[in-house]
Amino acid sequence: MIKVENVVRNYHAGETVVRALRGVSLEILKGEFVSIAGPSGSGKTTLLNLIGCIDQMDGGEISIKDEVISTMKKKEKTNFRRINLGFIFQTYNLIPVLTAYENVAFVLSLLNLPEKEVNDRTMAILKEVGLEGMEHRRPSRLSGGQQQRVAIARALVKNPEIILADEPTANLDSETGKEILDLMKEMNEKHKTTFIFSTHDSMVMDYASRLVMLHDGQIFSDKRR
Amino acid sequence: MKFLISLAFKNLTRYKRRTLITAGAIAVGLMMYIFIDSMLMGAEIESVRNLKWYETASARILNEEYWENRHQKPLDISIKNPDKIIRKLEENGIMATKRMTFSGDLILNSDDFGEDGNLPVSVTAIDPERDSDVFEFGSTLMDGRFLESGEDGVLIGSWFAEDIGAKVGYWITFVGRGNAGYVAMDLEIVGILNCPNPNVNRTLLMMPIATADEYLAMDGAATEINVALPENADVDSDVIRIQELLNGDNLTVMSWKAMAADYLALAEAKRGGSGMILFLIFIIAAVGISNTMLMAIFERIKELGMMRSLGMSDGKILLAFMIEGAGIGIIGSVVGVLLGIIANFILINVGIDYSFILRDMDIGYRIQAIFRGVWNPGTMIKAAILSVLFSTLFAVVPTFRAIRTDIPACLRHQ
Repeated sequence: MIKVENVVRNYHAGETVVRALRGVSLEILKGEFVSIAGPSGSGKTTLLNLIGCIDQMDGGEISIKDEVISTMKKKEKTNFRRINLGFIFQTYNLIPVLTAYENVAFVLSLLNLPEKEVNDRTMAILKEVGLEGMEHRRPSRLSGGQQQRVAIARALVKNPEIILADEPTANLDSETGKEILDLMKEMNEKHKTTFIFSTHDSMVMDYASRLVMLHDGQIFSDKRR
Repeated sequence: MKFLISLAFKNLTRYKRRTLITAGAIAVGLMMYIFIDSMLMGAEIESVRNLKWYETASARILNEEYWENRHQKPLDISIKNPDKIIRKLEENGIMATKRMTFSGDLILNSDDFGEDGNLPVSVTAIDPERDSDVFEFGSTLMDGRFLESGEDGVLIGSWFAEDIGAKVGYWITFVGRGNAGYVAMDLEIVGILNCPNPNVNRTLLMMPIATADEYLAMDGAATEINVALPENADVDSDVIRIQELLNGDNLTVMSWKAMAADYLALAEAKRGGSGMILFLIFIIAAVGISNTMLMAIFERIKELGMMRSLGMSDGKILLAFMIEGAGIGIIGSVVGVLLGIIANFILINVGIDYSFILRDMDIGYRIQAIFRGVWNPGTMIKAAILSVLFSTLFAVVPTFRAIRTDIPACLRHQ
């Protein structure tokens, strides 16, 4: 489903070149629950960003569902993300002025779906992630775990084939983190959505069905469980 | 679109203080624009009215050679048969009155004025029975009475009277050159006029034309015939019409615009200068709004990164911020127009008293003391629409800058 071939990504800090990814190759199958793990600066987020079509690579090729995303133009990438990818961020990144319902419905409004379908799908997914009755609360009136549930609902509501999550539990206590991972796992099994998430937390790694370890921009271990 | 409007509205209420400050800047700018525009327009309307009522009339008939030599106030370049022309004009429904303007020396006697003295003056001789058909001096009398035909009396402007210490009942002597040589006239000040036109009020001396005619041996001639035209008349075409009526009389007709060309040029220059001030106010407001929008956008750059990563197009992001800018513009415009209406109401009914400047300084406007505004809904609507338009456009540049930032950088933004 996702093919990463010999991907290189360098960052320039003045005259210094930081080699974030040094020829990473990887293939991820549909429905996998993959953890990209490694210490800080190992290239986890960079790899997720490249798969998520929000960053430009300096070498190599990435294709998703047989579409080569590395050669796509900006507008094509935007359209591709809108239809095929869901994102979950470490800091939730909810829109503070919108309610939980509106934050989720926002994604469907980008797809120009009929109002009734937007309403039905939003209510259904909020119920599924355990936020029934909290639809009209703004993020400021939700706990960290509840906010991340909204973020998961937002990622899932358009039924994407791939969800990318950058350290989804890093801002949560361990108990809430487990709840979120359980929810992600449940959604992965139920919807057969491919989840790729980055972490440096061993507890989070344990949840993954496949663990890809990065070190200094290179894969040094890739294990399926 | 509905979502974008809702999001923009919610963001405006989310950053209440910033929204209010920015909208407040627009409102104050707009109010000042409405206020200044109203004051300038009011000053121009009143100046033109005071020009026509007290200085030039709507139009003036002169000997063809008079205008070129007007500064010498020649009595020999005159209209020989003014009454005949006035009758002809009246037959054609045009009100007119003759006048004679001449210069000479005013002699002040110590008996009345405390000390002897003299100064050069210009005297306007009027037909007391017909002058008010064209001019409006009758309503400006502040002391004494108006002139009577044939008397040795004189009216004086209140500022002039104040400057020389003249009072009703004082006598002055005028020495000038008439068609039969030098003459001296002893004239009693019968009234003091408070003319709203400062240029006139500063120097005004008026006497009956019959008396002046006798002293100066004018034999019924006048130096000018002043014509009153309706308020909304097309002066230029009326001037042509009057010129046709006078055909063959060696006379010329000048509109008030031609006579007051200096004033109109000055007013135009003032409009340009005021426009520059308004432009500066606009630039200051523009920089403020642009800066606020820039702050608003960069404060939400992480949110922007999230929206873009979820597939929101650059066009929609731009539209969202433009709607937000428009929202601020609408709030600012509504408040600005309301404040402008209040300020304008005060300006129209109370006005601003500039007499402390205008008493001793000629700034070109024919206004003696109080500047009043006028209602100009066109300006208000135009200014309000432009405010909304500009505040919408001011959102474009910072949004473009934010859109050019790559998404990971937006997401990392703290």
